[in-house]
Amino acid sequence: MPRALACALLLTLGTACRSSAPSSDDAKTTGPVRGGTLVASLRSEPRSFNRYVDNSAAADTTDALTQARLVRINRRTDELEPWLAERWTSAPDGRTFTLTLRPGVAFSDGTPLSSADVLFSFAVVYDPKLQSPLASGLRVQGKPLQVSAPDASTVVVTLPAAFSPGLRLLDNLPIIPRHQLEPAFKAGTFGDAWGLTNGPGRMAGLGPFVVSDYVPGQRVTLTRNPHYWRKDASGAPLPYLDRVVLEIASGQDAEVQRLEAGSIDLMSQADLRPQDYATMKRLRDRGAVTLTDVGTGVDPNVLWFNLATTQPSRGYLQKQEFRQAIAYAVDRDAIVNSVYLGAAVPVYGPVTPGNRLWYSENAPKYPHDVARARTLLAGIGLIDRNGDGMLDDQSGAPVRFSILTQGGNIRAQTATVIQEQLRQAGIAVDVVPLDFPSIAQRWMSGSYDSIYYGFQASAMDPAMNLDFWLSSGSAHVWHPEQGSPATAWERRIDELMQQQIAAPRIDDRKRLFAEVQKIFGENLPGLYFVAPKVSIATHLRVGGAEPVLLDPKILWNPDTLYVKDGASAPQR
Amino acid sequence: MRFVLRRLFAALLLVFVVASGSLLLAQIAPGDYAAQMGGNPAVQAAERHRLGLDRPLVEQYTTWLRRSLTLDLGDSFQYRRPVLDVVGERARNTAILALVSLVLATTIGIPCGILTGSRRGGLLVRLIRAASLMLVSVPPLITSILLVTVAVRTGFAPISGRLSGARLIVPALALALPLAATLERLQAQAIRDALHRPNMLSALARGIPRRRLVWHHAWRLSLGPILAIYGVMIGSLFSGSFAVEIVTSWPGLGDLMRQALTVRDTHLVAGCAAAGALFLGVGVLAADVAHAALDPRVESETA
Repeated sequence: MPRALACALLLTLGTACRSSAPSSDDAKTTGPVRGGTLVASLRSEPRSFNRYVDNSAAADTTDALTQARLVRINRRTDELEPWLAERWTSAPDGRTFTLTLRPGVAFSDGTPLSSADVLFSFAVVYDPKLQSPLASGLRVQGKPLQVSAPDASTVVVTLPAAFSPGLRLLDNLPIIPRHQLEPAFKAGTFGDAWGLTNGPGRMAGLGPFVVSDYVPGQRVTLTRNPHYWRKDASGAPLPYLDRVVLEIASGQDAEVQRLEAGSIDLMSQADLRPQDYATMKRLRDRGAVTLTDVGTGVDPNVLWFNLATTQPSRGYLQKQEFRQAIAYAVDRDAIVNSVYLGAAVPVYGPVTPGNRLWYSENAPKYPHDVARARTLLAGIGLIDRNGDGMLDDQSGAPVRFSILTQGGNIRAQTATVIQEQLRQAGIAVDVVPLDFPSIAQRWMSGSYDSIYYGFQASAMDPAMNLDFWLSSGSAHVWHPEQGSPATAWERRIDELMQQQIAAPRIDDRKRLFAEVQKIFGENLPGLYFVAPKVSIATHLRVGGAEPVLLDPKILWNPDTLYVKDGASAPQR
Repeated sequence: MRFVLRRLFAALLLVFVVASGSLLLAQIAPGDYAAQMGGNPAVQAAERHRLGLDRPLVEQYTTWLRRSLTLDLGDSFQYRRPVLDVVGERARNTAILALVSLVLATTIGIPCGILTGSRRGGLLVRLIRAASLMLVSVPPLITSILLVTVAVRTGFAPISGRLSGARLIVPALALALPLAATLERLQAQAIRDALHRPNMLSALARGIPRRRLVWHHAWRLSLGPILAIYGVMIGSLFSGSFAVEIVTSWPGLGDLMRQALTVRDTHLVAGCAAAGALFLGVGVLAADVAHAALDPRVESETA
């Protein structure tokens, strides 16, 4: 069965729509200061500045700084905000929206924005030859949106089916300049446009900054967009910063060291690892950084079993009771304390308490109970038959499975703790640390027992993550792209999610999604153990930061960021 | 001249074999670059087709081979640029780091070796020997981590920012110190051997001051054995620099190779490996030529 690699897919695991205000340690602010340079780290080298062809974290970061959308989901409040479109109306059917473009908006090269640019952006993203990674986030039930432009400042968007999040979809589409990119698009070379060599200094964007320079392996320099359209509350033009420098750091260790040395102001992929927290707390106490506890993470790691490929000799691997037994056998508090050093909370499903709007308290929970786990296992014929303390199946073969996970990080450490805890329950586990392409290959070929991995959340609303919930989805990782639901419970989740995305009232949507979480928790196609507490450190000179749970955690509002020493700071 | 040409040919053959082997190994490793492209199967298939990853392995290799004969190592998958351009940018930084480290190691290691080899005892000699032993037994990777930590805590040298002389301090020291220690050990032994030669003993008996004997005569005699291992040392310098570059965030070939391997950018992996082999080949060649210039018997023996 052909399958996609969903591992890089940005999953929306439906969690809190409204995150609370972060409890910042930074109590003293003196108001925005104009000018100066903000230095952030970039964990990986950019591959291109063209977000339509590159879905890497580096491309996401530069996109947040240089591009703009018709509407924006405010990452802090989760409200939909007018952005390039200053207002919109919706038809009674709830599927057709008429958006009016904000007057006076121009690209960074001075060319005015018009509805032709919006039409061009949609044409590019849906181009079958380009196969943009952005396209899947702009479809409803696999169908593209219909877009038309009655005049230069009006755009009409029609959804192919009822979809409650409505215009929130448009937050996925950066509007690109037709006048600059249409020749490349027509020539079939759009994928090479805005690359590392032909992008800097030439890209026309609608975001607060433009890429002015790129030094391979070292940095990307962005300077203020002179035609940026936003103004602050006092009417002063934004952005506050003159420049943003993205220093390329090879790995998170290098980023933390640079923050400690004061050579960067923040990490663009901002959250701290548990082992970094003590260092940052020391720096906070010394008055060098601001440490913000943002809340419980919304993208916990998941252990899933291969439910797509039957293994006759080890049929227990696909039994619900086996997964439930594992859920009981694993001591989540031990993982919280030994791996996350206390900076995590136990979780039991994909929607964590960090997602306050969509999290359901009624989803099943599995407190640590080894005796109950053994009872469940005995119920499916897995008992200790030879007195060695480990369980055996009916044929006398030991109960054993492997966990593939990414080596050298917190996932591997967690998998090792799970291994030890399952050994105490009589289950032998082999932890196999691999790199990402190897895990992906094993997953795509279906040659694995289980995988422990994590997915980056891109939105809180579960309707934006149907690929995960629906049995036909490519991110339905335990059994992707099913022609028809393989199990009764998957069929029921499909039905509930279809109702959920079409329901106009939020209360109905929450009720339906709570039922989905309950079914998920009972059947456990994925086992969740802990969700980290997200902490973010920024240099004390950074102002205007409003850290959030979703990426980019700090740079989502780059135009209102500032440095407190402004232009008086030494050029970096 | 024939000697140089033959060594040059050997170096080129080494580059080709290393690049080919790296490409094939990267290709047969599980997973491919298209896996990075997200969850949509059509997106992955399109990327696989664009890059030719959907073709048989043999066809991919022969295509690369044909192009590489014209010095075209293909395009980097992730950067969408010719591999030679991407590698060229980084190779310059690696070459600077390696050269500075080599000079540093030589200027520290050789005089220290002469000193410790020509004297029997003394506090300074004991200190140098102890430091050498410690540095030889610690891999450059550990030295790098220690130096980076000290740099972060004390600020004695920058660990990020624009490439400059100051920015070079940490990676160059990390690479040079273990090498200097190795040179010190070898030079000390070589100078001891030289001082025990009959001509040296007789010069000493004739009353030539020991200091002059050591720094003017014995030192030259000891150069042969040292130069013989210089080529190998240059090779270890480049392999060691890969790890040091990653730890110290020096934007050279090591960092690039790590990225390329992580995402299975096979053309770039081959390009980085080729550049590393080229450095090694050139280093060995330079050492051989220098050795032959000092001792013509080397050329005639290998001719």
